[in-house]
Parts: sequence; structure tokens; C-alpha cells
Amino acid sequence: MIAYLAPLPAAAAIAASADGGMNAVAELLPRLLPGDPPVWAVFVLAALVSVAIAVAIVALVALFGTWLERKVSGHIQCRFGPMRVGWHGWLQPVADGVKLLLKEDLIPTGSDRVLFVIAPALVLGCLFAAMTAYPIAPGFFFADIELGIFFIVAMTSVTTIGVIMAGWSSNSKWSLYGAMREAAQVVAYEVPLGIALLVPLMVAGSFDLIEVSQRQEGLLGLDWFIFRNPFMLPAFVLFFTAILAETKRAPFDLPETESELVAGFMTEYSGLRWAFFFMEEYAAMFLYCIVGAVFFFGGFASPLTWAAAEVFGTGGIVHNLAAAGTLLLKGFAGVFLMMWVRWTLPRVRIDQVMTMGYKYLTPLSLLCVLGAGVWEVVVADLWRG
Amino acid sequence: MKALGRYVSNVVDAVVTTAVGMRITARYLLQKPITVQYPDERLPVPDRFRGVHYLEQEKCINCLACARACPVACIEMDAVRHGKELEWVKFTIDYQKCMFCELCVYPCPKDCIHMGTEFAMVSEDRRDFVYDLLSYRGMARDAKVRMAEAEKAKQAKEAAKKAKAAAGDKAAAAAGAAKPEKPPKPPPAAGAGEEEA
Repeated sequence: MIAYLAPLPAAAAIAASADGGMNAVAELLPRLLPGDPPVWAVFVLAALVSVAIAVAIVALVALFGTWLERKVSGHIQCRFGPMRVGWHGWLQPVADGVKLLLKEDLIPTGSDRVLFVIAPALVLGCLFAAMTAYPIAPGFFFADIELGIFFIVAMTSVTTIGVIMAGWSSNSKWSLYGAMREAAQVVAYEVPLGIALLVPLMVAGSFDLIEVSQRQEGLLGLDWFIFRNPFMLPAFVLFFTAILAETKRAPFDLPETESELVAGFMTEYSGLRWAFFFMEEYAAMFLYCIVGAVFFFGGFASPLTWAAAEVFGTGGIVHNLAAAGTLLLKGFAGVFLMMWVRWTLPRVRIDQVMTMGYKYLTPLSLLCVLGAGVWEVVVADLWRG
Repeated sequence: MKALGRYVSNVVDAVVTTAVGMRITARYLLQKPITVQYPDERLPVPDRFRGVHYLEQEKCINCLACARACPVACIEMDAVRHGKELEWVKFTIDYQKCMFCELCVYPCPKDCIHMGTEFAMVSEDRRDFVYDLLSYRGMARDAKVRMAEAEKAKQAKEAAKKAKAAAGDKAAAAAGAAKPEKPPKPPPAAGAGEEEA
């Protein structure tokens, strides 16, 4: 995948042995390591490095996400948000993290200890697994998964099991209610999420995030799928609504409604375990926004990426950096949009959530798929002659 | 058909109302925050705000009018009088009792006690809320100077008087009249003895 690297013996062996799903780190490492290391050592090292990068990404996204959330909520309410710790409070999440690390780790009596301890780890672990499909740059990724979007949706759905485990094992009515709501909500919204994603998927013809974004390259972004046909924008709105519900964000934060359920499934958690749930929420937001950016808003494509590719050549380091920056920016633009929605809309009732999921989003997303399919087959063909 | 119309209008409503709401929050987001960073900057306090008192100690005559006016008896004051000058011992207000009613301000004949603008009083110790309003203890420096000058002037006057008396005595002695050697001792200057106290 990395065209700008001269092939080395180990790299070639790895490329040959890794059939299909390749890891950019595994291809880079033989070049950086002295001598000719054995293939298994390269694989182990590559795995460790990849995991470290994934953990760093999740942690940094969660840190920046909490800071951004507090700033956005503050300014929407005409406040400043955190201002004390560092310049405009940028060190506030670090201070919060230290506080959470030092907090007592409580496990309530009467809880199912094993499940209680496993639940946050499962939630965060599944998110790390989903992160492997995050395309950092066209030439740098954890795994080039051909069914990338499928994998992301599947792994983030498994986090729901962790949430249900947390709710059940806490032995608290609030936690249980929160978990039940989470289960109901995810079941209701997985469907429109998947169907809305079908609309760009039909056009892209690929599940691979890198490949999908490569099909939207261009200077001005006119090749972005959102402009491809009139059913893309509604599909994006449906997708966005569905990911709000998937990531338990307001107005669909029924699993953790602080006014009725204290903190929902997280009620009995404290310290680092609680932080795990929090990190999962922000990292899942970011990951879904990356998916939205890739499938609707061109992925790596931007004037910056285009210029970098023109000047320094496609696949070069500069091009990769520009592409990574572009995608990161688009991802955080999506995260900002989610926060904006959160601080605008009041929370809906659980029956309204169900109504919206089953009666509105699902049929409308099906309509979008139908319309987009007809458009692509009939209208676009006529237009192109 | 009616149900379908309701369905469509629900969808349109949801989209439109969300857009309207997000426009409003976007306006607030871009607006300058109306809060201030409190301990660093403060909102202006109204002119007639009743905060922690301040005392113009120079003007105060220790008349106790404010202490008597206080409904909760939170003002304690004490001073020793040396003629025209005051030697201050105490002027405290107990802010655990004070209710900032401003009744102490009105009866002051010298208009020397005022309500200030400070309202944030925080401490871990109750004793810290007994505020000492004295800016100096004992006597003011210029009061001391005034007293010393008065003393000097008095002594100079005494000396002049003595010299005059002595001259008179000499004249009297010359006249041969037997008189008491000294004139009666004048009473000590006011406060001169107490100054050390």
C-alpha cells in the first residue's frame, strides 16, 4: 500500500504473507529496524505499535472531546467554559483524568463483581477493535479491512453488550433501566443507520473506507457523495440522527438521563472504570463522524490534499499528512455538530425515541435507498447520456 | 391520506424546528460570553451597594453612635482621649452578625463610616469574620505631631512665664520683699502623663 517505500526483503515477505488485510506499521517497520529482522518479530512489534497508536488516538480524542464539549456548551450558554487550567482551559481534561485516576474504585455490594469489572473493559475493547478500521491516512492505517464499515458498525454494536452487562451487574434499578433503554435504542437505530449508509455504499461500490474516499477525490469537493444525487442529503440527516442515538448523545441520551436515572448504566461506576465509558462515548462519536465524513463528505478529499498530491506527488508523506489532517478536521467538524445538536435540543421521551426510530427513520431511509437507486440507474444514466 | 399528511408534516416539523433551534444556539455560540472571569474581573457594583464597611479613622470621634444604632450590636469600638486627640484601641465589626442594613451609617455625626463594595468574604475560621476597621492603632502620626507641637508651645509659654516671673522675683528681691521662691506648679499638660500609657 505504501508506494513511496522501496521494497525490502522483510516488507515483501510481510506483504506476501498478509493476504489482503495489511497493516501499515508492519510495512514500515522493516525499513526502520536495523538488519533484517524475522517476520514474526516484525508482526509482534507492529501489533504493539498499532495498539499503542490506537490507545493514544482514543485517549486524545476523548481528552479533546471533553474539552470541546465543555467549551461548546459554555459558549452556547454565553459562558466561557473552563478557563483556569492552562490557556483557555486546555489542560482541564488532563486535570480531570488525574482526578479520575486517583478516585476510589468502588464496586457496590450485591453487584456481580466479575461482570461489573469486565463491562467497561468490554465496551472500550470493542471500540479499540472498531478503531482498527479507522483510516488515518491513505498510506497509513492499522488494518486495510475490505469490509471496513461493516466491521465498524459490528464492533460498535458489541459495545451495547458491555453497557447491558454494566447495567445488569450494578444491581441498581437506575443502571438496569439505563441498560434496557440502551438495548432498545440500539436495536431500533442500528436499522436506519445501516440502511442510510447503503445509499453512499451503493454509489461507492466498496466497504473499504480508504477506497471509498479515494473515489471522491477532487479539488473542490464536487465529487463528494453528498452532491452526487438528491437523496444523499436526507440519507446523511438520517445517518446523523441514527449515530446520535447509537452513541447515546442528547437528544437521545436516554440510557444516561441524569434527571431521571442519575447516570443510567454508569450510576454505580467511579474512577477509571467510569472514565472508560466516557472515553468510549467520545471515541465512538469521533469514529462515527469519520465514517460520515468518508461516506458523505469526501473522506481525505479537500483542496489541501489535492494541492499536496499535485505538488509533492500522490502517496508521498506530505500528501498523507494533508489527507490525515483533512479527515481529522472533518471528523471533528462532525463531533462539533453533534455537540451543537446536544446543546440545542431537549431530550426526547423513550416512546418518542422508539417512534422516531421505527416509524420515521427506518421507512425514510428505505425510501432514500429506493430513490438513490432509481436515480443512479435512470436519471444519472440519462444525464450522462 | 390524512395520516400520510400528518406523517409528512411531522417530518417537516422535526427538520424545521431543529434548524430553527440550531440557528438560535449558533447565534449564542458566536456571541461574546456575558459572564466575567470572576476573581480576576468583576462586574461593576452599584453605587449604593452595601458591602463591607470602611472607616475614615481620622474623622471618627469615638462617639459610639454607630455602635448604638446597630440592631445586632456587631460594632465594638474603644479609644482613649488625650485632649483633642484620640488614641485608638479597637474598632471591629463582626460580620457573622452584621446584616448590612446600613443603619450604622446614618447617625454618624462626622460621616466617617461607609458601606463599601466588597461582598466576597471567605474563610475557614469564624474568627476571621471579626473585621478590624482600624487602619492604625494608637494615635495617628500627625495627631502625635500636633500633640508634640502643642506640648512644645505650652512649654515655651511656661518658660516665658517662668522667665517673666523670675524677672519679677528679682525685681521683688531687689525691693527686699520676702516672697515664696516658686509660683504654684501649673497642672500637667493634658495627656502628657498618659502619653506613655
